Amino acid sequence: MNKKLSAIVLAATTMISGVLAGCSGGEPKASSPAPTGQQPAASSPAGKTTVQFWHSLGGKNGEYISAMIKRFNDTHENIEVVGTFQGSYDETVTKLQQSIAAKTAPDITMLERAYVQMFADAEVLEDLTPFMAKSGASKEDFPEGLMGHSVFNDKVVSLPLNRSTPIMHINKTMLDEKGLAIPTTWEELKKVSEALVIKENGEVKRYGLSMPYDTWYPIAMISQAGGKFFNDDATSIGFEKGEGVKTFKYLKDLQSTGALYYPPAQDSGNIVNQMFTSEKIGIMFQSTGVMGSVKNNAKFDYVTAFLPKDAAFATPTGGANIAMLSDSAKKDAAWEFINWVNTDPQGGQQFILDSGYLPFTKKMVESDAIKELWAKDPNRKVAYDQLQYAVDTNKDVAWPQIMQEFFKSIQAIMYDNKPIEPTLDTFKKEAERLLSE
Amino acid sequence: MFWKAVVLMGFIFPFLWMISTSLQTFEETMKFPPTWIPASPQWSNFVEAMSAGPFLTYFKNSVIVTTSIIAIQLAVMIPAAYAFAQYKFFGNKILFGMVLLAFMIPGQVTFIPVYLMLADAGMIKSLWPQIIPFMSNAFGIFLLRQYFMQIPQEIIESARLDNASEFKIIWKIMIPMSMPAISTVALFSFVSHWNDYFWPLVMTDSEAVRPLTMGIAMLRETEGISNWHIIMAGNVVLVVPILIVYLFASRQIVKAFVYSGIK
Repeated sequence: MNKKLSAIVLAATTMISGVLAGCSGGEPKASSPAPTGQQPAASSPAGKTTVQFWHSLGGKNGEYISAMIKRFNDTHENIEVVGTFQGSYDETVTKLQQSIAAKTAPDITMLERAYVQMFADAEVLEDLTPFMAKSGASKEDFPEGLMGHSVFNDKVVSLPLNRSTPIMHINKTMLDEKGLAIPTTWEELKKVSEALVIKENGEVKRYGLSMPYDTWYPIAMISQAGGKFFNDDATSIGFEKGEGVKTFKYLKDLQSTGALYYPPAQDSGNIVNQMFTSEKIGIMFQSTGVMGSVKNNAKFDYVTAFLPKDAAFATPTGGANIAMLSDSAKKDAAWEFINWVNTDPQGGQQFILDSGYLPFTKKMVESDAIKELWAKDPNRKVAYDQLQYAVDTNKDVAWPQIMQEFFKSIQAIMYDNKPIEPTLDTFKKEAERLLSE
Repeated sequence: MFWKAVVLMGFIFPFLWMISTSLQTFEETMKFPPTWIPASPQWSNFVEAMSAGPFLTYFKNSVIVTTSIIAIQLAVMIPAAYAFAQYKFFGNKILFGMVLLAFMIPGQVTFIPVYLMLADAGMIKSLWPQIIPFMSNAFGIFLLRQYFMQIPQEIIESARLDNASEFKIIWKIMIPMSMPAISTVALFSFVSHWNDYFWPLVMTDSEAVRPLTMGIAMLRETEGISNWHIIMAGNVVLVVPILIVYLFASRQIVKAFVYSGIK
């Protein structure tokens, strides 16, 4: 009997590990597109078309997007948009993958920009070009810096929505006390960060610079140093010429003197935000998304500036786009919503004013409301202006997996003091393997 | 005694911190060193947390889902455990081995096939996807079987001599005598399903069928500074029912472990 049981255990464990390996071996591919119009065009009794919209915004931003959806529903008699929070960006992606396979996908979804390509490759996103043509919209309506993840295989598969960039947040009062100017280069940033450090009995009481534990900031710096995260053919990483080594060496140097506080991985964004508002850090690299709440809580002169340059100014962008699923049976209604978000002053424009994300159409940028906002709060204009230096060098289907590998390198270097060059060599090999798959 | 107090504090401390944070102002949550006693308790945090979404619906869903799961599980587990404990039948060891295996497979492995099946059955918009996959509980069957095996054979045999049906034996003898074990299993099940986030996240698409945990996840900022005072107020609401249930069940649970130790 015991033998039998162990045989079953063995068989079952092999099966389970097979399943697990299948899961970890690659990003689960979304299933091939189903013929459209499978779902009946369900409409509520009043003849309203119901459009499902999945998003990933919680907290205040979640309230702002719900308010936007409500404004749409209040002014459109025939369409009811139902917005549903689906967890974080990553969780939304998981949900989309399973729902596309099960044919329970929404009509429109928010999609973190780096995941767009994965879904575009699986051909489950609708080409918006004909819809745009019908509404007289075009790609040129959007700032170029935000369109890096919109067009794949000549199809416009997503449009910018809640987009952000990393930016430099500065405690100007702290700099003024020391007679320091806002740094514009790495060299100046190093001097300023070191000058801001306060040590008591060998313990650092105040740091110069900090940034959340994220791939965003090293990627920004590698680009500033003249590198690219992936090379142009997307066969390998694009910073062999030492830009990666330079970036991490710079960070390690600052870390060793207390000029840089590199936060623990867990909840790092909140930690640096809190340290910044409680004046434990003078300067932080952080998303534009925090400007509103930092401004409300900072008891000092708070300003923002471009991320400093090394060889050049450069910034990645972040946040999410909006996309339509090709399985949707209510594409016209779905497009009406997307178009309304892009063009109506009560749509995306109001959401941007509320939330602090970047204005995402040129028309918004030229609007009186945004101009007024920028006059009142110049910090928000800085973030938009920086878009002229936006780069999208981490664009590849394999990015979500490579990102995990890059995180490992960051941990090894920043937390475990592993030597920089061998660590990046290992990363390069791993990235090449993933890119060639 | 001192060390007991230290260990106890270690467990209670995060809990007290949560309650303290739930009553602070935003400014107080940001302070370092942390504030322990809020200057003036902000009861409005709870109102704000609860108004972030249809919390009444979430709460109702959590209650329906967890109570249904427990009811169904008990109805399945008790007879199953009884059969494993009291009957000698062909293949019972293999079957029991399979039960144990079932309890080693994490939900993350099975969620996609389960989701596809339930979607096919048209159940996705209902509460069923949160209930059906948990109709049985392998750990519970295991624990109850061990407990049932300790009940003296003489009692059961004399009941059989008196012509009691098997159902009656379960109902009148096994259940009353195993109350500590049964309430332990029920409580474990309650806590894990009440707190479950992953499963409802992947199984539900609409607000109407979501539980409390999903509502609380919504309180966190995607980007920007999290309002910890609001999030913690939400968490207090989530945890209080567990505490209440625990207070009722705790004596039984202690008994379950004390008795199984003696035998």
